[in-house]
Amino acid sequence: MNRGLPILVVEDNDEDFDMLQMTFQRVSIPNPLYRCTEGEEALEFLEQTGRYANPEQAPRPGLVLLDLNLAGLDGRQVLEHLKNTPHLKSIPVLVFSTSDNPKDVQSAYAHGASGYLLKPVDLPRFERMIQLFKDFWLDHIVLPEGEAREGVRR
Amino acid sequence: MQTDGARPGQVVDLTNCDKEPIHIPGGIQPHGVLLVLQEPALTIRQVSENAEALLGVPASSLLGTALESLLTEPQASSLRTCLLSERLEDNNPLKLTTRVGGREHFFNGIAHRHQGRLILELEPTFEQEALPFFGFYHQARSSMSRLRNAKDLSALCLEAVREVRRLTGFDRVIAYRFDEEWNGAVLAEDRLETSDSYLGLWFPASDIPRQARELYTLNWLRIIPAIHYEPARILSLPEDAGQGPLDMSFCVLRSVSPIHLEYLRNMGASASMSISLLKEGRLWGLISCTHVSGDKYVPYEVRKACEFVGEFMSSLLVTKEGNEHYDQRIRAQSIQVRLLERMTRHPDFAVGLTHPPPELLELTGATGAAVYFNGRTTIIGQAPGDEQLQGLIDWLAAKPDPQELFCTACLSNHYPEAAAFKDVAAGLIAASMSRGRHNYVLWFRPEVVQTVAWGGNPNKPVDLEGAQPRLHPRKSFALWKETVRGKSLPWKDYEVEAARELRRSVIDIVLQRSEELLKLNMELERSNVELDSFAYAASHDLKEPLRGIHNYTSLVLREQPDCFSPTNLKRMETVTRLTQRMESLINSLLHYAQVGRTDLSLRETDLNEVLSSVLEVLKPRMDEFQVEVRVPRPLPPALCDRVRMAEVFTNLLTNAIKYNDKEKKWVEIGATGTPQGGTTYYVRDNGIGIKPEYHDTIFRIFKRLHGRDKYGGGTGTGLTIVKRLIERHNGRMWLESQPGAGTTFFFTLGSEKAEPVTGKGAK
Repeated sequence: MNRGLPILVVEDNDEDFDMLQMTFQRVSIPNPLYRCTEGEEALEFLEQTGRYANPEQAPRPGLVLLDLNLAGLDGRQVLEHLKNTPHLKSIPVLVFSTSDNPKDVQSAYAHGASGYLLKPVDLPRFERMIQLFKDFWLDHIVLPEGEAREGVRR
Repeated sequence: MQTDGARPGQVVDLTNCDKEPIHIPGGIQPHGVLLVLQEPALTIRQVSENAEALLGVPASSLLGTALESLLTEPQASSLRTCLLSERLEDNNPLKLTTRVGGREHFFNGIAHRHQGRLILELEPTFEQEALPFFGFYHQARSSMSRLRNAKDLSALCLEAVREVRRLTGFDRVIAYRFDEEWNGAVLAEDRLETSDSYLGLWFPASDIPRQARELYTLNWLRIIPAIHYEPARILSLPEDAGQGPLDMSFCVLRSVSPIHLEYLRNMGASASMSISLLKEGRLWGLISCTHVSGDKYVPYEVRKACEFVGEFMSSLLVTKEGNEHYDQRIRAQSIQVRLLERMTRHPDFAVGLTHPPPELLELTGATGAAVYFNGRTTIIGQAPGDEQLQGLIDWLAAKPDPQELFCTACLSNHYPEAAAFKDVAAGLIAASMSRGRHNYVLWFRPEVVQTVAWGGNPNKPVDLEGAQPRLHPRKSFALWKETVRGKSLPWKDYEVEAARELRRSVIDIVLQRSEELLKLNMELERSNVELDSFAYAASHDLKEPLRGIHNYTSLVLREQPDCFSPTNLKRMETVTRLTQRMESLINSLLHYAQVGRTDLSLRETDLNEVLSSVLEVLKPRMDEFQVEVRVPRPLPPALCDRVRMAEVFTNLLTNAIKYNDKEKKWVEIGATGTPQGGTTYYVRDNGIGIKPEYHDTIFRIFKRLHGRDKYGGGTGTGLTIVKRLIERHNGRMWLESQPGAGTTFFFTLGSEKAEPVTGKGAK
């Protein structure tokens, strides 16, 4: 039901993104996939500024998969910014991280993350995780539409 | 005619010394004649009854006559002028010659006015003229410069007693100083070489009663030329007798108290003289002369010279006393400096304070010391036993009026239990080295009974057997010693000051050390935080490439397994397996780092519940390996972190299951009481056991005793983490094992002592 909604992946690791992409295909996720490798870039994407001044290039995502450890502005700050911005805060953010530091988990939820996914070193587990993600977030969860953006853009 | 009794047989009791009216004894010492004259006619109103012996005229016939009748004509008029002058003392001694019955007698006349009476005391002399002035002048001059050049108090005292002995020829001359309680300490002496030394000895305040001290302040000098004298009573004209007894406060012939004479007799003295020493108007001490080899008369001029020595010495007291123990003070300071230097240099300053040991003792002139710091005691020299010392420290700590420095020469007066160890610690200086915590440096001095050897008994007990009360030298010595039992030599001012000074230094050092510690702690805290985030970052950054290797290898293996030779296929599989091992190592390391960092949530916990939840989780494995779990009796409750304890049990139980090759496997969990009232927990198995040489290394991180894949494999962090968790509970962990027969892991939880444990199951 959310198949048309763009998904933004904020991930600096090419291999991880590669795996994600492959697994998305494998479990047949049709949603358009966008990638930013840096925190700054992600914000530009979301705000449609800078590199993403052209709205065609940067549609409002229906969901963000956010890695925490990024070069420069890191995932925690991206999350904070996103959740403090009225027209963006309704976008669900799933943290997608290697860190199981309880502080990271705690702070992610405190700042409004909708979920926290731990990257496993185990291919089958990874695939199962993505499958579940699809089933849950893309097939069953009702996500907000992009109306807020329209309001802002006038 | 009325006479005043000289009271030789007056009842002496324990209380009358202070009340005895010694300024109105009613009699004089019979080596001179006392006359009370009425001005201006110089009529003799009162006269001592020994007048006949010395003047050749019966006393009674002198009463009412004029003084002139005794004298030759030319002398009478000059004497009259002298006696009637305002400042008649300036003319002392008056040279008198009497002629009675054709015989001439030479006298020194000493005149003074008191209470409207002119008192003239005549002492026989063989010389008609005054002693050569120059002799005295030169003597005085050299003695003055010697006194003035004395470098400190004891040198001053020594010069003075030498001078007085040289002037008088007494067998013994001592100088002593009163303490606050009027006990006297002998500071210097000059004596016949054959006699015993009195130096450093003490005698009690009651030797010189209050009113005697008052007279000593009024007069600079007293002399008793022959203590075995019969006092000569004073005879008065009837009108004068009605005026009450003659006040002899300023009389040189004044008869002394029979108690004092008895006292001198006890000392074996046959003659005595004393010179007052005053400091800023207050009686400070005495120069006391005694003669044992017979009577000792000192002529007036010599007495004046001695008086002068006393006065001059008195004027020097303030400056010389400031220099007292100058050398010792300097010495104490240099010891102080050395101790301080050692304390600052040594990481454990208590060690610096006590090695090498003699200096700490020398600092205060103690014979023993104890440095009690943070529950650890270091003893130097002679000190009470451990328990006695602990009792003393407890007493000091519990004192209602804790002082920075507690100092006494008679500890048992304050702390009766100290009587038991007076032979090492009758005297104590206790310097408290910290507020709140009870850290002390203690200095001890033993009981010294023989220090008080001068005769005399502070309580003046009197032997009432027989008609005459008598003081018995032996008995009074013994009694006096008895009363000073439990006393040490007094601590000198500079010794107490040295202790105070050391206390200040130690506190400074402790303060400085604790500041350093605080700084270190802060740095440690910071580096811990950094290490913590480092561990996460490291694990993250390590895991990222690892995940890549793993995933790509897995993908290749999954998608094209056929393109590999069997060997390479196996190798590729190994790569995947290694990535997983590495991941688990990284996770373990991270977990270990966390154990030390995260806060424990300590609460009273039912360990039985914790255990059963752990067993529930482990049930599948227990069943798989067919392990019997034994819990002989319920575990007592403990103050602990529930989650962490679950981890401890999980780890220990997992190990017990893993390292077991027996047919019938079992694991037992229990608790036993310790003699100290705590609880020891244990997890016992009948597994493969651990060789003794590994009992310590087994707790080392990443240390495994078996091959990687034996016994289900493992990272070698489990026990390390368990031990760390136990230690974070202030507990201790150890093991007993019989290789082949099983292992028991024991642990305690120190935290449980923080609160009383009901201990249902504890024995």
